[in-house]
Amino acid sequence: MAFIEISGLKKSFGNQVVLKNISFSVEKNEVVAIIGPSGSGKSTLLRSMVQLETVDAGSVAIDGEYFIKDGRYADSKTVKSLMTKIGMVFQQFHLFPHLTVRENLEIAPRIVKKEDASIVARKSEELLKKVGLLDKSDAYPGKLSGGQKQRVAIARALMMEPEIMLFDEPTSALDPELTGEVLQVMRALVKEQMTMLVVTHEMEFAREVADRVIFMDGGEIVEMGRPLTIFTNPRHERTKLFLKRVV
Amino acid sequence: MSFDYFNMIIRPMLEGTKVTLLLFAIVIVFSLPLGFLITLLARSRFKIVSWLANGYIFVIRGTPLLLQLLIICFGLPMIPGIGEYLVLPRFTAACIGFVLNYAAYFAEIFRGGLLAIDKGQYEAAQVLGMNRWQTLRVIIIPQMIRVTLPPISNEAITLVKDTSLLYAVAVPELLHFAQTAVNRDFTIVPYFFAGLIYLIITFFLTIVLKRLEQKYQFE
Repeated sequence: MAFIEISGLKKSFGNQVVLKNISFSVEKNEVVAIIGPSGSGKSTLLRSMVQLETVDAGSVAIDGEYFIKDGRYADSKTVKSLMTKIGMVFQQFHLFPHLTVRENLEIAPRIVKKEDASIVARKSEELLKKVGLLDKSDAYPGKLSGGQKQRVAIARALMMEPEIMLFDEPTSALDPELTGEVLQVMRALVKEQMTMLVVTHEMEFAREVADRVIFMDGGEIVEMGRPLTIFTNPRHERTKLFLKRVV
Repeated sequence: MSFDYFNMIIRPMLEGTKVTLLLFAIVIVFSLPLGFLITLLARSRFKIVSWLANGYIFVIRGTPLLLQLLIICFGLPMIPGIGEYLVLPRFTAACIGFVLNYAAYFAEIFRGGLLAIDKGQYEAAQVLGMNRWQTLRVIIIPQMIRVTLPPISNEAITLVKDTSLLYAVAVPELLHFAQTAVNRDFTIVPYFFAGLIYLIITFFLTIVLKRLEQKYQFE
């Protein structure tokens, strides 16, 4: 069984089907880019993996343990322990505006994992250094640029020491000149062999860092393969059309 | 007006001011948490619970505070059978009336405050592994306070003046002693002083609330 195993995932909002029958797997240390037009179900797919959406049918297993099996969720303890393996970064950052940058990083390890203050402080310092924002430790998110906010959000997710990172259009809300700094932090994570699922419109980035690219359209996976294949020699008409429009 | 006269009327009025301030403090301390609880109940998934909470808010906001006070102080003891057990000390009864009333207003204010918080905040907290209570305590409530402080300040200042309704249920407070002096001495000076004392209270209250608002600016 692969590190992440997804099969037959289905999800509807009312009578609108968003995920038709999604199956794929991700190996450990693999970086998968998910591309596709808006409304194709990419975000819903990621959100389903962290229970921000409940699915109607299908299975999700992480590290050999079922989180959802045939549409049924595991008991809350299993779900909780599996969720700690996954970190997520949102398009709109969702930093906590009433907490400083440092507090944003430290709050979850402190109250969820009940980690010791000194350990947490060391970890947050290390991560802030890594994303290049140590000098912003005591600033409130309101004072940061979009790129800085997203780097804080990545550091905040990493504080929980996840084994998988999900990125839901991490650069889509940024001014073009600010996407670079965020992508750079993500590249560093790739180098550290983080398992990553990235929903993105940054085709250049997908081509460069992804081990595999999944093209979704209309709630289903149309095509999946090596970036080179997908970008230079797509098999499906829908993929060709989409790439022609965005590249 | 002689200094002696001032001295004579100001003493009982300051005594009354104590009652006014005590009522104010009690109402703030109890009605804020109660109001928040009512907001949470109004948002409950259980229809009957949210229906009851909303019904409570509707009735309390839809009827005069004075009527509610009269009912609690004089009406409840008149209920046949159980009335005799509902005779409370007048000040206690008035406190209950005020707390129940202000809680409904605060509940509505908190409802608006919660609506103002982006649902991404809940999602971010959830994927970081926080449970509902942790999310509420460290993420939602502090942000709600920031949003709701201005309207809460407004209510608090209204409350200072509403305490004068104690006059109607015969609990001696600031206005009561002013009225007594006016009747006795046939002068409007005590009214003037009463007004001045209310102004002084609201003045300091305003300063404290502004400080609090600044503290919750997160900048």
